[in-house]
Amino acid sequence: MKKEIILVESRDPAFQDLVLSTPVGEKLATCMQCGICAGSCPVSHEMDYNPRQLVRMVQLGLKNEVLNSNTIWICTSCFSCSVRCPRGIRPTELMETLRPIAIAEGIKNKNERFDGVFSDVVRKNGRASEFLLISKYSLKEPEMIKQAPFGLSLFLKGKLPLAVDKMENTLELDTIFKLGEKVEKKEKENKENKETGMKTEKEEPETDK
Amino acid sequence: MTENELAHMNENTSTKSSIPENGQPPKKTGVYLCRCGGNIGDLVDLQSIADSLKENKDVLVNIQDYLCSGAGQEKIKSDIEKGKVDRVVIGSCSPKLHLETFRGMAKKAGLNPNLLEITNIREQASWVHDKEGINPKVKGLIKGAVARIGSIEPLVPLEKKLVNRTLVVGGGIAGITTALELADAHEVILIEKLPFLGGHMIGLSKTFPTLDCSQCILTPKMVAVHNHPNITMFTQTEVADVRGSPGDYSITLRHSPRYVDIEKCINCGACARKCTTGAIFLPFAQAVPQAYMIDMSKCKNCGACVKVCPRDAIDLDAKEKTSSVSVGAVAIATGFEPIDPSFIEEYNYPAPNLLTAVEFEEMLSAKSKTGMRLQKADGSFPSRVAFVLCAGSRDFTGKGRKHCSKVCCIYSQKQAQLVRKMKDEAEAWIFYIDMRSAGRRFEEFYHHTQEKGVNYVRGKVAEIIPKQDGALMVQYEDTNLGRKGRELFDMVVLCPALIPSAGTKELADKLGVPIGDDGFIEEKHVKLDPVNTLNQSVFAAGCVLGPKDIHDSVTEGISAAHKVSQFLGKGMILIPPEKPMILECNGCGECVKACPYNALNLENGKAVLSPLACTGCGICVPACPIKGIEIRNYTRNQYKAQLKAILSEEPGVIVFIDPYAYAAADIAGVNRRQYSSLVRFVNVPSIHILDADVVNAAFEYGATGVMLIEGTTDEKLVSHSDELYKKLKKETRKHKKPLRYSHIETAQYEKLTDLLNVFAAQAGAKAQKKNKKETESEE
Repeated sequence: MKKEIILVESRDPAFQDLVLSTPVGEKLATCMQCGICAGSCPVSHEMDYNPRQLVRMVQLGLKNEVLNSNTIWICTSCFSCSVRCPRGIRPTELMETLRPIAIAEGIKNKNERFDGVFSDVVRKNGRASEFLLISKYSLKEPEMIKQAPFGLSLFLKGKLPLAVDKMENTLELDTIFKLGEKVEKKEKENKENKETGMKTEKEEPETDK
Repeated sequence: MTENELAHMNENTSTKSSIPENGQPPKKTGVYLCRCGGNIGDLVDLQSIADSLKENKDVLVNIQDYLCSGAGQEKIKSDIEKGKVDRVVIGSCSPKLHLETFRGMAKKAGLNPNLLEITNIREQASWVHDKEGINPKVKGLIKGAVARIGSIEPLVPLEKKLVNRTLVVGGGIAGITTALELADAHEVILIEKLPFLGGHMIGLSKTFPTLDCSQCILTPKMVAVHNHPNITMFTQTEVADVRGSPGDYSITLRHSPRYVDIEKCINCGACARKCTTGAIFLPFAQAVPQAYMIDMSKCKNCGACVKVCPRDAIDLDAKEKTSSVSVGAVAIATGFEPIDPSFIEEYNYPAPNLLTAVEFEEMLSAKSKTGMRLQKADGSFPSRVAFVLCAGSRDFTGKGRKHCSKVCCIYSQKQAQLVRKMKDEAEAWIFYIDMRSAGRRFEEFYHHTQEKGVNYVRGKVAEIIPKQDGALMVQYEDTNLGRKGRELFDMVVLCPALIPSAGTKELADKLGVPIGDDGFIEEKHVKLDPVNTLNQSVFAAGCVLGPKDIHDSVTEGISAAHKVSQFLGKGMILIPPEKPMILECNGCGECVKACPYNALNLENGKAVLSPLACTGCGICVPACPIKGIEIRNYTRNQYKAQLKAILSEEPGVIVFIDPYAYAAADIAGVNRRQYSSLVRFVNVPSIHILDADVVNAAFEYGATGVMLIEGTTDEKLVSHSDELYKKLKKETRKHKKPLRYSHIETAQYEKLTDLLNVFAAQAGAKAQKKNKKETESEE
C-alpha cells in the first residue's frame, strides 16, 4: 500500500476539532499508542489502519485517510479495545462517531454500501436475513459475482435459507427509525443555522413562573 | 511526663501580653504582593489592587517579581528595620511553601514572626481561576488579611522537650538504612511486620545495573542492625495505637507470636528434625534474626519440638502481646507490595507458569524454594520466557493504577539477561510500551541487554491464554510494525504495578500524615522536602513514598535519618501558641466535657488549660455557654473583621477550611483544577471553632453561601462534625442562605473542586432568585 507523506495539507484542523469535541473525542489526546486495542481486535489485520493507527490519524486530523479507511466499517463492535484501553478511550464509539461523518461527507465505498443494505434489511423486516442481505448487496456490488459458487454451495447444504424471518409489528420499528431521522435532521439544521450565524429556536424546558 | 518537666516547660511558655511588644498601637501594615514571575502577575491586576489598598493610610504596598528571592526578602526586611512597617501581609504562593522563609526573615529583622501572614493568591487564585472575577477576589482576600493582621497578638511559640528516641516502621532496605544511619547518635526502635529483616530486597536475586547479589550486600547490614547497641529490633510487630503529640508519642506495638524465643534459639535445628509436618523452620539460611519459627496452620501441637529443644526456647502457648514505647520521631519505611494482577481479566492470572516479577525474583533469591533454579511448574527449565510490562500500571480507567512503577523497565531487562545467561538457546522477550531507562548507567544497561540478544516488542500485551500443556499464548500488536502477533511461551512474567503495602493508610491516619490519591505518603514538599511529612515529627523513606530502586531507597533512608537527627537535635519542639484563653468562667465545666484531648480541667471551680496537651482545635470555644473562651489570634472578632473586609469587594462564598483540607486546595492548585472565583477560603484551626456568631456574621456581610470543609481524619473531631453542622444550620436559618459541610481528605482535591463548583453555582442561583424577588417586591 502506498502511503502519503504527512504534510500540512494532509491535516484538516476542522475535522480534528469536530471529532475531538464529541464525547468519545475527549480522551483521544491521551492515547499512548500501547497497541492493546489493535492486539485485542479480532479483525484489525483486515483493516487499512488498525484502531491504534486510526486514533493517531484523528489526532493529526488526517481526514481523507480516516474517512476513506475500511476500519470504521469493519469494526465488529466487540468492545474488546474499549474494555481494555488503559486510558479509557473507547475506539468502538470512535468508529460509530466517524461513520455518520463519512456518510455526510458523501464517501462511497463497498463497506459503506454494505452498511446501508444491512440497515435497510433490518428496518424492513426487524431481523437480519442473510439471503436478502447477500442478494441485495450483490446487486450493488458487482464483484460479489465471484462469490456465487460459494453461495450456491451454502444454499445446497441448507445454510442459506430463502425464507425471510420477519418481526410482528415492523411499524413500531419504523417509528423508531423515523424518530432518529427527525433528531438527525434537527441537529443538522441547528448546525447549519449556527454556521450561518442565525439564531436558532431554543428548546427550553417549561419553567415555573 | 514528670511534674518537673511540666514546670520547666511552663517556664519557657509565654503567651503573655496582647499588647504589641513596643507597647504602642500598630503603626503601619506592609502589604507585599508577589508577581511570581507571571504566575500571579499575568492574571491578577496587582497594580490596581495596590492602588485600592493605598486608600488606607495605614497601609504601605509594594509589588515584587519574586518576593521569596534575596532581593524580595531584603525589601521587606529593610522596611521592618527602618520602622516603616510593623505588621506584614504577603500575597504570594501557599504559606505551606514559604511561611517559614518569610517568618524567619521577620525574626531576623526583629519582628515577631506571628505578625507576618501570607494570603495564598497563587494555588488558591491565579492557578485555579481565569481572569474573570479574580481581581475582586484577591482584593477582598488581601483586605481581609489586612483587617486581621491589625489585631494579631505577637505570641511566642510554646516549647516542649523532645523524646530522643525514634521508631522506624519497616525493616526493608529503607528502614534498615534509616535505623543504621541514626543509631550512632540516637536510640532507635526498628519494627518489622514479617519474621525477618530485609523486606523485598532480600527476595531479589541479582540487582541492577551492576548485577551484584542482593543478599551479599544486604546481609551485613541486617546483621549490623541486629548487633547495634542502640537499635532495639522487633519482628512480627506492628503499630497498634498512637497517643501523645509530635515529639512525644506513646506508641503501642502489637507483637504476633513466633512461638520460638529469638534470644534463646541457637539454630541447632533439632526441632525441625523432629517435626513431622514441617511446621517449625528457619525462614531461610541468612534470615535475621537467626531463629526458628512455627507456622501454626501446620502445627499439630504434638510437643515433640518443645521436648527436644536444648535451650527450652519453644512455647506453643505463646499469645499475641502488646508493649508501649515512648518516641519523639517516627520514620515510615513500610514499602510497597505488587498489585494482585488477577483483576486484569485478559491476562488470566493466576495460571501455571504465569508469575509476577516478585515471584520470579524469589525463585532465584535467598528465599528460593527451588534451590535458586528457574523452573516451570513441571520442574523443567523454561526456554521461552516473556516479560509483560505495565500490568496494572499507567491505567487511567480506575481498574489499575495511574502511576508508572518506575523500576519494571530495568528489572525486567535484568531478569531477561539472567534467562539468557542460564541457557544459550533460551529466548527472552520483553513487551513494553515505553522503555524507560533514564539516569546514570541505565541506558547503558538497556544497550547491554539488547546486545545479549533479548527480543524487545513495543506493544502492550492484549491477551494471555493458558494452554492445556502449560504453555502460554501471548497475543499482542507489534506497534513498530503495526502488525498483530501471537507467540507461545513456557513462562510469562507479569510486571505488576507497585502499590503502597497493606496498612499504609491506617498507619498514616494514626500518625496524622496525609496520603495521596495513589495511596503513597504525601511529602511535605514534592521537590524540596521529599522525606518530611506534614507532621513535623514523622518522616518517610523508600517505596512508601512511591516506587523506586534500591539506590533511591538508600538515599532516602540516609536523608530521613538526617532529618530525624536534625529534628531531635533541637531537643525542643515548638508548639503553635494559638491556644484558648479563658476570659470568663462560671465553672460549669462544659469546655472540660467538650475537649477530646483532656487539655482542660476544673481547678477551684475554674477551667484551667494544659497548653501542651491542647491541639488548638477550638472545640471549646462554642462549648462555653457564656462565650468566655477565645482562641488567641482566632477570636470571633478577628474572624468578623476579616470576613467583613473580604466581602466588602464583592459578595462571594465563604469556605471555612482546616489545614488538612487546605492542603487539598493547594494540590488542586498545583494540578490547575479550575473552580469558581466566588470561592473565598478562610483558615480555621478546625471547623469546630465556629459558632453561629461567626457564620451569621459572614451572611450579614454578604456571603451568598458558607461551606465548612474539614480534612482532618482525627476521629475525636470528625465524630462531632454532624452535630456541629446541624446546630449551625438551625442557628443560621434566618438568613435563608445555603450552608454545607463536607469532609475532604488531602488526596481528594478533585472532589473538593467539584464540590466548590456545585456549591458556588447553587449559592449564586439562590442569591439571584432572592434579589429578583426583592426587586419585584420593591416595584
